[in-house]
Amino acid sequence: MTDSKIQQQVRLTLPAQADYVDLVRLTLYGIASKIGFCYEEIEDMKVAVSEACNNAVLYAYNQDGGMVDIVFDIGSNELGLTIRDEGSSFRAEQETQELLGWHDKSIDEVEAGGLGFYLMQALMDEVEVVSIEGRGTEVRMKKRIQQFSEELR
Amino acid sequence: MSTNHFAVVTHQDGQQITIQLQGDLDLAASGEFRSFMEPLVTDSTNQLTLDLSKLTYIDSTGIGILISIVKVRKAAEAPFFVEHIPSQVQKLFDMTGISKFLTSSQ
Repeated sequence: MTDSKIQQQVRLTLPAQADYVDLVRLTLYGIASKIGFCYEEIEDMKVAVSEACNNAVLYAYNQDGGMVDIVFDIGSNELGLTIRDEGSSFRAEQETQELLGWHDKSIDEVEAGGLGFYLMQALMDEVEVVSIEGRGTEVRMKKRIQQFSEELR
Repeated sequence: MSTNHFAVVTHQDGQQITIQLQGDLDLAASGEFRSFMEPLVTDSTNQLTLDLSKLTYIDSTGIGILISIVKVRKAAEAPFFVEHIPSQVQKLFDMTGISKFLTSSQ
């Protein structure tokens, strides 16, 4: 995310536990409102950032005490989100291959799980996952204000 | 604004059981919700309905639980309905493709 348009940064470091993911959504709501995102765009980003945090909570650490960093890169009409853990057991490559929804599947073929990355891709403008064995996983996402994107055309 | 703590409200009328979901159904709430639903889902003599009118948020964890319920109820040929889906939740249902597996009683 080397974007010259980025003006400010907010960082949040939380225990990699499910009970803290709602704090990420609250913070996101505050920041995205300030930038001028509409309700629907904020709801989209809430899901995307939570899915990334859920993965850190569920897969990154084998023991308690792990942390997850969330960086909000505030642009004038876009928001960058980076979700970073220092865990070792994340199956990023495996997980990101499941980028399909359940549209063409029958009920017997559908299995719970595997939708997190699919939703991130569907809800954000850009998603990038970098996972380094033994050093953790970083998910970088970006969303632009729709109204602004349309004006650019 | 505050966090939307997850809660369920049960309405029972004979064999008709309606569960109203309130607040955020996320990873933190998923264990509690799954345990709460299990005896209701496995009892195929009831008619089970989820009322989502007060559901403020759902993620893939919650959607995963819903699809598990659909599968169990279908295998048991037991009635299961999902009603009053808020627009932002409906969008996620359409996006993931779970919509086609959900039925409304209305």
